[in-house]
Amino acid sequence: MRIIKLNNQIKKRFIFLLIIFACFSASIFLISYSLKDQIAYFVEPTDLKSMDGIENKYLRVGGLVKINSLKFLDGNWTFEVIDQNQNSVNVVFSKTLPNLVEENKGIIVEGKFIDNIFVAEIVLAKHDENYMPQSAIDKLKEEGKWRGN
Amino acid sequence: MFAITPNTLSNFMNSMSRYVILLSLLLISVSIFLIIFLENDYYQGISFKIMFIHVPTAWLSLAIFLMMGISSIIGLIFKSPTAFTVARSLSPIGLIMSIIVLVTGSIWGNLTWGAYWVWDARLTSMLILAFIYLGHILLLHSFEHFQKADFAASILAIIGLVNLPIVKFSVDWWTTLHQESSVLRIGGPSMTNDYLITLIVSFFGIFMLTIFWFSNIFYIIIEKRKMERSKLLND
Repeated sequence: MRIIKLNNQIKKRFIFLLIIFACFSASIFLISYSLKDQIAYFVEPTDLKSMDGIENKYLRVGGLVKINSLKFLDGNWTFEVIDQNQNSVNVVFSKTLPNLVEENKGIIVEGKFIDNIFVAEIVLAKHDENYMPQSAIDKLKEEGKWRGN
Repeated sequence: MFAITPNTLSNFMNSMSRYVILLSLLLISVSIFLIIFLENDYYQGISFKIMFIHVPTAWLSLAIFLMMGISSIIGLIFKSPTAFTVARSLSPIGLIMSIIVLVTGSIWGNLTWGAYWVWDARLTSMLILAFIYLGHILLLHSFEHFQKADFAASILAIIGLVNLPIVKFSVDWWTTLHQESSVLRIGGPSMTNDYLITLIVSFFGIFMLTIFWFSNIFYIIIEKRKMERSKLLND
């Protein structure tokens, strides 16, 4: 008799906790779903095509630095940020670049579009999740399996 | 499991703790040796070696919270004092772990990204995790009776469980400056085996240190309660 009573209590407490947890996760899900554009740290050049009123709006654009586009002219860095769909954005930047900014590597630029050129105020290097020593790359290159630059 | 009293668990952990700390020191020394002689990353150079502190402590700060949440659920449902005491001893360790993650991460971020801190989804959700740990500790210390404190803090720990998948999957759900997972990901680890082995050795070293530390905090809590009880009986 006592065991049945205890089981009922345990059941009750379990359902109570389940309701608390479910309510909370539902509210967090709704908040983060409706704010997903704000939570996203950057947009890709492809996303810019479907956005309107991007001129003079403070934005973050991310992608890869296009190969053979990184140049230093008259005290300004110029380069193109390209994404998987081959859409690109022309960027100028007048300060020092972070060490890891290289061609064909990830980058995030923060600034505004002025006359279709993105004038960056902050540039951040975005490294990917691949880690390997130079010797492993040399080995891959020998075998012809290396797909980087 | 629910028949285990805090005392038996404490005694069991005390009998094991000398082996745990020896194993931990051994693994940490091996991992330091491995880290020193490891070849640099082709892209990030030497700065990637901060990963061997950053990643194990990040995994642990999530795992400790999961453990805290589960023991809070067991504690609330089965009214188990052992489970409550486990959750109580875990939160200071989790707080320190998440502070280490944030500090090493921001040093690493400055070396590679070019910024100490940005408000992207991964960094922000990790900061929230650290604040939930802090809130858990503060709640535990804001009641006169420890049973009430355990009840309130357990509710917070269960609510905080919602944050765990957000921390883990933030890099997949939203665009972030933080990289995606290198080890626990679909398609296997994206690092060479020498890096992976070093990471696993250093993880288990820090993990064993965490267990040792946990058993010490658990022991202190139990002994303090015993002293308070005997004081009450003597008065």
